[in-house]
Amino acid sequence: MDSKLQAGHQDSQSKSPAESGPAYWLSLEELEAHPGMAERYENEFMASPLSADDNGFARRDFLKVMGASLALATSACVRRPAATIIPYAKAPKEITPGEANFYTSSWFDGYEGAGLLVKTLEGRPIKLEGNPQHPINLGALSARAHAEVLSLYDPDRLRGPRRNLVNKDRSNSESVSTKFEEADAAILEVLKKGGVALVTGSKPSPSVRAIIGDFSRAFGVRWVEYDALSLESVREGQRLSYGRAVLPRYRFDLAQFVVSIDADFLGTLISPVEFTKQWSKRRTPGADMSRLVCFESTMSLTGMNADDRVRIRPSRQLDVAFALLNRLARKGATMPAGLAESAKAFSAAEGEAGLDPMFLDRVADELWKKRGTSLVLAGGLATATAQQLELQVVVNALNSVLGNDGKTVDHDSAVFQTYSGSAKSLATLIQDVAAGKVKTLIIDDLDLMTLLPKDSGFAEAIKKLENLIYTGNRNDATGRLSNWVLPVGSSLETWGDLELQSGIYSIQQPTIMPMYDTRSLGELLLAWTKAGSASARVKASETWLDYVKATWSQEIQSKTDLGRGKAFNDFWIELLQTGVAMSGGRRERTSSARAFVGRVSVKPAPNRAVMELVLHANSQMMDGRYANVPWLQELPDPVSKVVWDNYLAVSPAWAREQGVKQGDVIEITSGDFKMRAPAWIQPGLHDAVCTMAVGYGRKGLGKVAEDSGFDAYQAAMFNAGQPIFSGRLVELKKTKERYELVSTQIHHVMENRPLSLETTKAAFEKDQGSGIHRHHVFTIWPEHQYTKHKWAMTVDLNSCTGCSACVVACSSENNVQVVGKRYVMEGREMHWIRIDRYYKGDMASPDTVFQPVMCQHCENAPCETVCPVLATVHNDEGLNDMAYNRCVGTRYCANNCPYKVRRFNWFNYVKKRAEPLHMAYNPDVTVRTRGVMEKCTFCVQRIRRATNVAKDEKRPLRDGEIKTACQETCPADAIVFGDLNNKESRVAKLFAEKRAYTLLEELNNQPRVRYLTRVRHAERVDEKHGHGGGHAAGRAEDRQDQTTCAFEGGLV
Amino acid sequence: MSEASMNMASEVARKPLILGNKTYKDISDDICEPVEAAPGKRWLALLLSAKGLFLFYLIHIAIVVSTGMGLLGVNSPIAWGTMIITFVFWIGIGHAGTLISAILFLFRQKWRTSVARSAEAMTVFAVMTAGIFPLIHTGRPWLDFWLLPYPNQRGPLWVNFRSPLLWDVFAVSTYATVSSVFWYVGLVPDFATLRDRAKTKIRRLIYGALSMGWRGSARDWAHYEMVYLILAGLSTPLVLSVHTIVSFDFAVSQLPGWHTTIFPPYFVAGAIFSGFGMVVTLLTLVRIGFPKFKDYITIDHMEVMNKIIMATGLMVGYAYGSEFFIAWYSGNPYEQYAFINRAFGPYAWSYWIMVTCNVIIPQLFWVKKFRRSIPVMFVVSIFVNIGMWFERFVITVTSLHRDFLPSSWGMYEWSWFDTAILSGSFGMFLTIFMLYLKFVPAISIAEVKPVLYVGRQRPGGH
Repeated sequence: MDSKLQAGHQDSQSKSPAESGPAYWLSLEELEAHPGMAERYENEFMASPLSADDNGFARRDFLKVMGASLALATSACVRRPAATIIPYAKAPKEITPGEANFYTSSWFDGYEGAGLLVKTLEGRPIKLEGNPQHPINLGALSARAHAEVLSLYDPDRLRGPRRNLVNKDRSNSESVSTKFEEADAAILEVLKKGGVALVTGSKPSPSVRAIIGDFSRAFGVRWVEYDALSLESVREGQRLSYGRAVLPRYRFDLAQFVVSIDADFLGTLISPVEFTKQWSKRRTPGADMSRLVCFESTMSLTGMNADDRVRIRPSRQLDVAFALLNRLARKGATMPAGLAESAKAFSAAEGEAGLDPMFLDRVADELWKKRGTSLVLAGGLATATAQQLELQVVVNALNSVLGNDGKTVDHDSAVFQTYSGSAKSLATLIQDVAAGKVKTLIIDDLDLMTLLPKDSGFAEAIKKLENLIYTGNRNDATGRLSNWVLPVGSSLETWGDLELQSGIYSIQQPTIMPMYDTRSLGELLLAWTKAGSASARVKASETWLDYVKATWSQEIQSKTDLGRGKAFNDFWIELLQTGVAMSGGRRERTSSARAFVGRVSVKPAPNRAVMELVLHANSQMMDGRYANVPWLQELPDPVSKVVWDNYLAVSPAWAREQGVKQGDVIEITSGDFKMRAPAWIQPGLHDAVCTMAVGYGRKGLGKVAEDSGFDAYQAAMFNAGQPIFSGRLVELKKTKERYELVSTQIHHVMENRPLSLETTKAAFEKDQGSGIHRHHVFTIWPEHQYTKHKWAMTVDLNSCTGCSACVVACSSENNVQVVGKRYVMEGREMHWIRIDRYYKGDMASPDTVFQPVMCQHCENAPCETVCPVLATVHNDEGLNDMAYNRCVGTRYCANNCPYKVRRFNWFNYVKKRAEPLHMAYNPDVTVRTRGVMEKCTFCVQRIRRATNVAKDEKRPLRDGEIKTACQETCPADAIVFGDLNNKESRVAKLFAEKRAYTLLEELNNQPRVRYLTRVRHAERVDEKHGHGGGHAAGRAEDRQDQTTCAFEGGLV
Repeated sequence: MSEASMNMASEVARKPLILGNKTYKDISDDICEPVEAAPGKRWLALLLSAKGLFLFYLIHIAIVVSTGMGLLGVNSPIAWGTMIITFVFWIGIGHAGTLISAILFLFRQKWRTSVARSAEAMTVFAVMTAGIFPLIHTGRPWLDFWLLPYPNQRGPLWVNFRSPLLWDVFAVSTYATVSSVFWYVGLVPDFATLRDRAKTKIRRLIYGALSMGWRGSARDWAHYEMVYLILAGLSTPLVLSVHTIVSFDFAVSQLPGWHTTIFPPYFVAGAIFSGFGMVVTLLTLVRIGFPKFKDYITIDHMEVMNKIIMATGLMVGYAYGSEFFIAWYSGNPYEQYAFINRAFGPYAWSYWIMVTCNVIIPQLFWVKKFRRSIPVMFVVSIFVNIGMWFERFVITVTSLHRDFLPSSWGMYEWSWFDTAILSGSFGMFLTIFMLYLKFVPAISIAEVKPVLYVGRQRPGGH
């Protein structure tokens, strides 16, 4: 081995020769203590013995070669396979490829109706928007209305009529496809034999009513309307109180003080979109901001928005109504004679009802003070107890003594034409069917086998029928028992009309040729009626459109003042353009008060320590008609945020007492009735109440609906025509089974964080910025300059009711995918906008706040700095853009987003979407592939379209010209979008309001979304937000039959 | 005799680094033996099982890449999971090798020569194992090359130099390159030894090619020494920089629990800690597998490494404590919640596994007996490895699962694929390591020979 190297390695052992003289020497120089040697030993590293110039290796050449090899880059391209597209041989004049056409139309799902603008592209409807001219929804839409598009493209609906080969017991259900011509011939034979009955849902359509009339006359048909979510008690209560059955229109736009007894008017009752519009207008913070008090047995959307909410059991609804009536009587109101006796009984028993008398005093005071501008209402499934009629009568009495009748309760001008169903008539019909008096039954699109409780006797009765004809889109429970199943298709495929409120007419235009071999009810009946002894109108109508036109000409134009003096064709064209016909001012009119003649004889319910079951509808599912629409199944329930399921909701105290955990399967028994459902612990429920939503667990609707939830209709009782959905006494028993309930939100309190802010009315009047803790933030960088536009959005938390219509509208506009229950459980839901819901205060009776959260388009966006490939960047209008095709999918942006609004495509969801659902895609928005991040874009496609139009027209963009999808559909008008550079824009003004704040301001992300604080009437809104049962847990220790509530004076 | 006592006097403090009175030839024979002898059954069995696990790993990677990241437990809000955790874990493992071979080289720590080769090999293999993860954890792995700033035809599209992920690309690739080159350069003289001892032509050809024409001339050695020194100098800052930059992936973000300035030193200490843990694990196994190596990798060597484990374990423990203090001292409620949630939230179990494995268990090494006991150090080193994996789990998952908005809180959805990816990565690492033991001298012959006489008499009986 080289000795020099040895030295190099063992330098620590080598001693300097200068010190001791070398005992051993390596070289002559060392031995002679050459002067260079000392220096050499000093150096830590030995210099190379090779001088630089004899180094043959050219370092620079080496680097050159390295550089050149690095520069070598090759790339291969893969060409897409060639595909052929065929242009319109003759382009329709009105269609420009890529340009949407909007058609006016109407939507009605059996309960709620709305005017529509149907967005169509190249002849296919892709999105529904509210018709801004329609007085009922004024441009807004509910979540279910949006779902009609997916219902049209539902892969599971029938594509042609079917004949089921049923045997005598109607148990055989072999099904063969057939043709309408064949069906017509066979059915006409049957019809001519007589003994025909027709069951439909509510039909507020003038044309359909007319053809049913003609059809009934031609074949002697008995027609019964039935609503699965009946409001017959309201109509009947009106008749008992005032002599005429009517479904009144509640006027929240006039009501300053609203007391609701289990009436979920913001979520499900009659026309929630309209009510929300009106209610939110009255909620503008200020001196005459309206106030809402709810007495509820369910936890409903309305209750969550109440200033004060009291949890009750359904058997105490009457107690509340009488307690208020008694107090008003003491203040000088005249106690109606027919109620006096019962009122006395309730007054005596008040102590047992567990209601807080002082609170009721204050409610009564306020009602009395606001005579004529207050409103008391009750209704909905939760009030469908054995005393449902009595409750309605007492509520009517309250409105009468308060002078609200004719003012906030419109009984005359534009009352609802919906909910005309009658369970009583259906009960009689079923009896007649059972008695063999009916030979043929035609059921129009109502799965009565599911929707009717067992004790209706329907299942047994239909075995007596010779023929059962079912007009439905699916071979569901009823369809399977029918001889004929005739699909009616979607309302987007056929002509029709609606009279949702008296005198408010709207048209339903088809926007696509029927996709399959389907016929609407009108078309069917028209075809059949022609073969019978038809009226002149039927004979003159070649098509269903002719008939609709004839109805409008003969029934509407000639009998009302609409289109007076105009040729029918002009009236018709005008109607198609506006979509709605009504005489102006009709809805604004108030009418005179009616004489109250109601009589009630009822005793207070005894105090029972038994669980009461309350069935209710929820806003996304209602009766379950749209249960096969994935958008609605995946829409988090506004209250619980649960998706894809319903559940048995129980109170936290009860669950704690019984050792029940979320998802434990509970057996519900009542007499010989038994069913099982998973438990959901729902704050705000009375401890002796359990609730469950109907509309789930529907069989035969399709793949989506098949495994979702549990059929709660079986727990209802038909009770010979007075259906009971609420107050059934049940026993609950925990089983060992577990069921996975999936919620998009697993944490329900704000952890003392200033997120969804609120203040009290009193504090707000002193300081509009109250409730907001401002942070001092600063930056050393100059701010970005936005010379063109500066887009921004505000969300008014005071108006937002949490109804979640925006979530579905956004999904529809932006091609947001549905992932399914399992993947929501794994945290992979894709919604670009979500409604955060937090509880505050004690878990027995919490306050609720909502907060819609979408991409905040931060000016200092934390997502942008961390993306390694610049796939998400800021544009010159302040939008946080997402370049999908640049995204590699590192997901760092999602981690760094404090608002957690970014959504990742974990799988190739596009591939999984069943055809023809893909037809509902919006071509203006990229369909995202697997592995890329996506998020709210502020509907950038709408921004581009509108700015381009303005540019073409050489004018500045008008404020309000761009509406994002969520804003457009919002029934509460809580969302405002616009350009901050336009100082006159609404959004610029709202941005400057003292009530505006940004979420997580202290992070200095400078979001372009600002929230406006919620203002509550109650004084008890704490400066600090409570944690769970935190500060208030002590005061709500399981008080059976005792409600905690608060009012002006603070806690009581 | 008198000379012997003189020697004793001058080197009284030194213990021999190499036991067993070896000669230079013994060293060459001992170290080359595993490479030259026919593979043993034990080695074969280990290799095959490691390879089986590796194949299993590859299959699962293929499924994930072809189906989607959704197969793993990642979700919203926890967008990073097993892959990133295991990436940081392996990168950390790599640090001990570079520390031993570069920093200890510069500090003239002679004991490093016996363990440097394997530690360095471990570094290279760990970085290779780690390097897979950033590539496959993306949503669209086939586009990963977009993270490289190369001239392209996509107009002005360029990478984002502000993103820590991009820094990571540079840091990790630099580290991988330098540590591989460093390792390889160290191997050249040994490959030449193997070439010279080769009995078959193929062997001679292969090792001849690998030794790049090494002749052992003075000129060769001079270049070699200089290159080795330069590479050691280059590697030294990398030991600190790589994990610093990896820690930036977390520290630069806004997330409570990530956004802290202590991360760089904390990560580096943790990396060295875990790296030495892994070196101890592997070397105890090597000692068992090749009993002759016990003379080279002595208990003294192991003890020194155990001391480092204890020291870095204490540093890591200090960092854990300091994080809590700063969370409290900052007055930032989000930060405070993040740390309370770490210790007492739904993932508290993982936090306490981490503390137990990383802070409490290494305290055993205060006792000399444990420090020098092979079974004890093996078990402790395994715990250190477990603890350090959980440290990254705690940092990644528990910080993400509850951040600013409680509405978006969630839990990690651990799936079969997480298990497969995590365990499979060990398959990859062990396969390469087993092959290394068979084809490469596991101890540096050229470096061990110069330290042969440390702590013992020179030959020749002066």
